[in-house]
Amino acid sequence: MTQPKKFTPVGKLTYTQAVEELESILRMMQGDGCDVDQLVAYTRRASELLRECRARLTATDEELRTIMADLNNAK
Amino acid sequence: MDNAITLVELNRLIGRLVVVPDTQNVWVTAELSDVSSRGGHCYMELLQKDPDNGTILAKARAVIWANVYARIAFRFREVTGQQFETGIKVMLRVSASFHPVFGFSLVVSDVNPEFTMGDLLRRRQEILRRLQQEGVLEMNRSLQWPCVVQRIAVISAAGAAGYGDFINQLYGNHAQLKFKVKLFQAVVQGERAVPTILDALQQIAADEDNWDCVVIIRGGGATSDLAAFENYDLAANIAQFPLPVVIGIGHERDVTVLDYVANKRVKTPTAAAEWIISKGVEALEKLRNIGAEILQSVTDRLAGSKEQLSYIEALLPTIPHSLCEKALLRLQNNVTILAQVGARSISSQQVKLEHVAQLISTTNNVTLRQQRDRLDAMERMLDALSPEATLRRGYSITRVNGKVVTSVEEIKPGMTIETTLSDGVITSKHD
Repeated sequence: MTQPKKFTPVGKLTYTQAVEELESILRMMQGDGCDVDQLVAYTRRASELLRECRARLTATDEELRTIMADLNNAK
Repeated sequence: MDNAITLVELNRLIGRLVVVPDTQNVWVTAELSDVSSRGGHCYMELLQKDPDNGTILAKARAVIWANVYARIAFRFREVTGQQFETGIKVMLRVSASFHPVFGFSLVVSDVNPEFTMGDLLRRRQEILRRLQQEGVLEMNRSLQWPCVVQRIAVISAAGAAGYGDFINQLYGNHAQLKFKVKLFQAVVQGERAVPTILDALQQIAADEDNWDCVVIIRGGGATSDLAAFENYDLAANIAQFPLPVVIGIGHERDVTVLDYVANKRVKTPTAAAEWIISKGVEALEKLRNIGAEILQSVTDRLAGSKEQLSYIEALLPTIPHSLCEKALLRLQNNVTILAQVGARSISSQQVKLEHVAQLISTTNNVTLRQQRDRLDAMERMLDALSPEATLRRGYSITRVNGKVVTSVEEIKPGMTIETTLSDGVITSKHD
């Protein structure tokens, strides 16, 4: 049984690298490259990557309010 | 000196010489310069430059009176998409005039906007041809966009309506996409457009790692003034710019050479923002799909593993029994095979043995018969030679005291003589 590799902290990945890793995890899960022992580790990793990617793309409500306030002040 | 005339008289004289049928309603081609508008009238200088070095070969003042200008300007804009502006080439119908105070000028009565359009197209084609020859025409257009476009360098005029539209659209996106925008100020119309835009591009290029793309948008407004954008230096710079460039400086009709070299052309600043938002929405959509697929894969795998387990579980109790059955069957098979093999082997040995036995018996019979015959012959011979046979033929054996007597001499009177005949013994006394 192969041990899951050590994952790079998501914060150190570029968005592109994160998406590539997500896609490779997906490919592995759809193929037969991942046994049940690793499933949990890879699923956790995938959700971590997804959360990070979403966080980078979208702003929280609070951030949005700040931005809108800045824009209004600039007018 | 008494025949001196007044200046007014001289100017009138010049006027009469200048204003002749040949100088009236003449179509003339020229380049516009120092265009200005006062009280609805339009004043300008008409120039003819040396195409090789740009030196001015001819120059004349011209005016379009307000009543004519409104009509001309409208039609000109309709056809060419631009205003009467310094730098463009025009074909005008003019009449020479000479005013005693203001001197010589040409009064414009009509314009041929198709000429300007043709000239613009010619210039644009020239620029495109040159960029093509230099192998840079497609460079910006073939740049790959990053996965996400979030860091946007905007070139526009500060406080312009177009920039405001862009920002509002971008930050008001429903997907709550995050963006980082910085304005690099430039003049986006008229003569100063090219140098200020080039300057902004240079600033962005110096910091290119921090930006995903460049968006060049105009200040907005209905009127177009795009002649300045038909510029080789600007087009060449954008064509070779290391980041994808989005151009949103004109409306549908107002194509400039920049639209041919930039990576993406949009009609309005709002459309530029929408396009960038759509890239982000695409990225979010992709994440959603990956997430859903991973979830599905995990569910499938777990379900598959569970199914496998229950299959094995169900199989487990029957396995020893079936293993025993299998072993028994194998054993029985072996027994049968062994018996068959043994039988086959024994029967062949038996045949061999029988053969040997037969051989032996045949040989024995022959030998025995031969022996018997020999014995019979010997017996017959022996018989013929035996004393009994001799006796039967009439001979007898005489014995005295058990000793065979062969001579009469040996017998003395009174001796008991034994005579053996074929069928018995006679005892007698010699006299």
